[in-house]
Amino acid sequence: MIDLNHFAYLLPLIIVLFGAITLMLLSPLERFSMRSFTIMTLGFLGSALLADIYYFGELYTSFPFETIFSKMIIADSYSVYFDAILLSGAMVTSLIGAHYFDVKRRFKKEFFSLFLFSVFGMMLLVHANELMTAFIALEIASLSLYVMVGFQKYESRRVEASYQYLILGSLSGIFFLLGTALLYAGLGTTILGDMGKNLDALMGKDTSLVIIGGSFLLVTFLFKISAFPFHNWTIDVYDGAPLPVTAFMAATFKVAIFGFILRLMLVDLDPIRDMWDSLFMVIIVATLLYGSFMAVIQKSLKRMLAASSMVHTGYLLIGFVSLGAAGESASSSIIFYMVAYFLSAMGAFGLISYITSDDHIRFTYEDFRGFAHVHPYMAAMLSIFMLSLAGIPGTIGFVGKFYIFTGAIEAGNTLLAVMGVTATFISIYYYFKLIALMYFYPTSEMEEVPTLKGIAPLTIGLVAFGVIWGGIGNTFVAYFPGIDFLIDTARLSYMSLFIK
Amino acid sequence: MEIGILSTIIFLPLLVGLLFLVLPFNATWTRNAAFGVSIVIFFLAIYIYMNFQPTGYIQLREYHPWIKSYGIYYSLGIDGFSLIVLMLIATLIPSAYLLLWDNGRPKSYWVSMLFIQAGISGTLFSLDLILFYFFWEAMLLPVFMIIGLFGTGNRVFSTLKVTIYTIMGSLLMFVSILYLGVAFYYEYGVWSFELGDLVQITTLGYETKVMLFLGFMVAFAIKIPLFPFHSWLLETYSNSPTGGVFLLSSIMAKLGAYALVRFMIPLFPDLFVEFSPYFVSLGIFGLVYFGIAAISQHNIKKMFAYSSASHLGFITAGIFSLNAHGMMGSAFLIVAHAMATGGLFLLQGVMERNLGIRSLDGLGGIAKKAPVFTLFFGIMVLCTVGIPGTNGFVAELLIVLGLFKYNPFAGIVAAVTVLVAASYMFLLFQKAILVRTDNDVSTMVDLQWKEILGLLPLTILIIGMGFYPDYFLYKVEPTIQHYLLDILHVGGR
Repeated sequence: MIDLNHFAYLLPLIIVLFGAITLMLLSPLERFSMRSFTIMTLGFLGSALLADIYYFGELYTSFPFETIFSKMIIADSYSVYFDAILLSGAMVTSLIGAHYFDVKRRFKKEFFSLFLFSVFGMMLLVHANELMTAFIALEIASLSLYVMVGFQKYESRRVEASYQYLILGSLSGIFFLLGTALLYAGLGTTILGDMGKNLDALMGKDTSLVIIGGSFLLVTFLFKISAFPFHNWTIDVYDGAPLPVTAFMAATFKVAIFGFILRLMLVDLDPIRDMWDSLFMVIIVATLLYGSFMAVIQKSLKRMLAASSMVHTGYLLIGFVSLGAAGESASSSIIFYMVAYFLSAMGAFGLISYITSDDHIRFTYEDFRGFAHVHPYMAAMLSIFMLSLAGIPGTIGFVGKFYIFTGAIEAGNTLLAVMGVTATFISIYYYFKLIALMYFYPTSEMEEVPTLKGIAPLTIGLVAFGVIWGGIGNTFVAYFPGIDFLIDTARLSYMSLFIK
Repeated sequence: MEIGILSTIIFLPLLVGLLFLVLPFNATWTRNAAFGVSIVIFFLAIYIYMNFQPTGYIQLREYHPWIKSYGIYYSLGIDGFSLIVLMLIATLIPSAYLLLWDNGRPKSYWVSMLFIQAGISGTLFSLDLILFYFFWEAMLLPVFMIIGLFGTGNRVFSTLKVTIYTIMGSLLMFVSILYLGVAFYYEYGVWSFELGDLVQITTLGYETKVMLFLGFMVAFAIKIPLFPFHSWLLETYSNSPTGGVFLLSSIMAKLGAYALVRFMIPLFPDLFVEFSPYFVSLGIFGLVYFGIAAISQHNIKKMFAYSSASHLGFITAGIFSLNAHGMMGSAFLIVAHAMATGGLFLLQGVMERNLGIRSLDGLGGIAKKAPVFTLFFGIMVLCTVGIPGTNGFVAELLIVLGLFKYNPFAGIVAAVTVLVAASYMFLLFQKAILVRTDNDVSTMVDLQWKEILGLLPLTILIIGMGFYPDYFLYKVEPTIQHYLLDILHVGGR
C-alpha cells in the first residue's frame, strides 16, 4: 500500500518529473506555441512549489518508500528548504526568460523539457541520501544544462561553451565516481548516515581511503561551484550561454550543489572534515583574489557577473570552512547567503537579459552609459541588484555578508573574514562602476530598449523588492516574513539533519 | 507601535524623499518640501534641546527588535555630545536650503539632500553598532549620487574614489564590530551589538584590542579626514557641487569626530588613553600640514578643503587631549567650524553661481559690488580664524588650553598654528573680495533676502556663542565629565 504521507513528501519531485516528460512528449506538436509552453512550465513549477511549502517550517525527517528505495532518498526540512529555493529559482528564471524566449525565436520547445529535467536533477540532488543517487541526480542536472548552454546551435560561441562545459564537466564527474568507489572501499557503504557511523568506528585506524575518496568528491564539488583551481571554464561558459541559462547556472545550480555537499560534510565526513581546512583556506583566498581580479578587468557586463560569481563562491566557502567550529551559524549563514545571492544575481542577470533580448547585444559597461536618464526604473532596479551584490546595507546582500563574516569570526577565522572584506572592497569598484556609468553620463543611443511591459519586468521588480525587504524587513509588519523568518527556517533545516 | 521623536527626525526626510521621488512633482515643489521638512526637524530639535536634562546619560531611548536571532536592535538615544551635533544639523540644513534655493537643480538633487539628512541623523542617534554601520554606509549613497550627478571636473572618477576610500575604512570597522559581537556572544552566551553591552566585554587580549581599535580608527580617520588618510579630500571637495561639499565638510566630517567620542571612548577606554599621544600628534601635524597646504592653493574650494581638514585635525587633537578643556573645545569647534566653513562654502557657491568657476587670481573687487555678501563672508572668515567675539575663538582657546595641559609643547605648536589659518584666510579675503583688480566681476549679484535669512541664524550663533559660551556649554559638560571621569578615569578639570 502506498503511504500517502510519503507520497506527499516526494510530490514536488514527482510533479517536476511528470512535467518534464509531458513537455517532452508535447514538444513535436505544432498547436502549442512557445508561450503556452512557458505557461505550462510555470504551472508545473508552481504546483510543485505549492506542494513543497506545505511542509515548510516543520521539523521532520523521513525516508519515503523505504521498502522500494531503501535509504537512497530522504525527505526532511532541509530538502524542503532547498526545494523551495530551487523551485522559486526555476520559476523566476522562466518568468524572466519569458520575454527572452519570445524574442529569440530560434529557441525550440524542447528547451522547456530539458529545463524541467535539470530542475528535477537538482531537486533529486538535495534529496539524495546515497552517493550513487547523488551522482545520477548530478548528471541529470548537468546533462540538461550542457544542452541548454549550447541550445542555439547556429552560434559558435554557444557551441564552444557547451563543449567546454561538457568535456570538463564529465571529467569532474569521473572524480565523483572514483571518490565514491574509494569511500565504499573504506567504509563499506554509500548511504549517508551509515557512512558516518562506520567512519566513527574507523576513527583512530587507517582512514586514508576515506580521505582520498572525500577529496575526489570535493574536486567535483569545487568544479561545479567554480572555485579555484577548477574555475577556468566559468567565465567562458557563463558568457557563451544564453542569459537566462547563465542566471540559472549561477544562482540555482550552485544552491543544489551546496545542498548536497553540506549534507555530506555536516553529518558523514564530520570527523575528518578538519583535514581539508588549510587546503580550503588556500582555495578561498585564491578564489576570492582571482575572481576579483577577473571581474575588475572585464569590459563585458555578463563576463563581470560571471567572474564575480566566483567571488561569491569564495564567500560561501568561507562559511564552509567555518562549519567545524561554528556549525549552526556557519551552515545557516551559507544557506542564507545562497538565498541572498540567488535573489541579487537572478535580478541582475534577468534584467540584463530583458534589456538585451531584442537582438541588440548590449553587454558591455559602455553600453549602459547614461542608461538611467532613458529608463529610470530599470536603472534603479539594476542599481539595487548591484548594491546588494556589493553588500551595501539596506539590501539582502549585506545581511548575507553579515552572517558569513560573523560565522567566520565565530569559528576563529578572522583572517578569512578580513580576506572576504578585502574582496568586498574590490567589488565596490566593479559594481559601482556600472551605477556611475548609468547615472553620471548624459543620454546615449539607448532608445531600442523594450519598455516595461508584461510579466518579466514585474518579476524583476518583485525580486528587487525582495532584495530590499530582505535587507531591512523585520517584524514590524505582522504575518509578513522578514529576515528573522529566513534565518529561523534556515536553522530549522539545519537541525533536521541531525535527527536520528 | 509608538514612533519616537528621534525616529521622526530620521524617517521624515526619508519618507518625504521617497514620496517625491516616485510621485511626479517638479523640482520646485520638491525643494519646498525638503525645506519644510528641515524646518520641522529644526523645531523638533529645539524641543529636544529644551527638554534635555544636563546629565551625562543617554536620553530619549528607543528600542525595538530588528534581527532578533542575532540580537540586533533598532536602538536610538542621544547624550550631550550628540545633542550638540543634532542642533548643528538642524540649524545648518535649513540655512543651506535657503542659500541653494535658486540654483536650478533638478528633483534628484533635493531628494538626495533629504536622504543625506536622514542618513546623518540615523548615524547620529544609533546606539546599536550594526545599526550605526547601516546608516554610516547608507549615508554614502546619496552623497555618491549628488557628487556624481551634479559635480564638476572629473566628477565620476572622484566619486568612485571617495566611495571606495570610505568604504574601505568602513569595512575594516565592520569586521571589528562583528568581532566585538562574537566576543560578547562567547562571554555572555547571547548575541548583542548594543554599545552598552559591548563595553562589558572583558575577554579580549591586548593585541586583539589594538587591532579592533585601529579597525574603527581607520573608518573615522578617513571620514574626518585625519592625516595620512586625506588623499580623497582635495579632489572630492573641489569637484562637488556646493550642497555636496557643504554636507561633506560641515556635517559628515564632524560625524567622524563625533563617532570618535561616542564609540571609541566607551569601547576602548584604556587604548584611547594609551594611544592619545599619537593621535594628538597626528591631529596637530594635520593642523600644521593642511594649514600650510592651504596657503599654496589658488582655487577657493581647494583652499577651504585644506582649511577644513586643518581644523578637523585641531578637533581631533582636542578630543584626544584627555581633559575637559580640550574636549569641550572640540565640541565647540565642531559647531563653530561647521557654521563658519559651511557658511563659507555656501557663499562660495553663490559666488560660483554668479561668476563661474574661477581661481583666486580671477577674482577681486567683489566688496564694492556686493557689500552684504562681503559682510557675511568677513564674519565667517573671522570665525574661522578665531578672532575674539566669535565662537571660533572660544573653541580654539579651550583646545589650546587643553593641549597645554596635555603637553606644553603641543599647546605651543597649536597656538602658533592659529597664525597660519589667519594668514591664508586673510589673504583669501583680501585677494578675492576686497582688492580691486581688472577682473570683470560685474555679473556678481549681492545676496537676496532669502540668502540673508539663511545666513542670519549662523551669524547670530557665531557671535552669540562667542559672547555667552556658558549658555551652550552647560548641556554638554556633564556628558564630557562622564566620559572623562567615569569611563576614562583621567580626572576632570
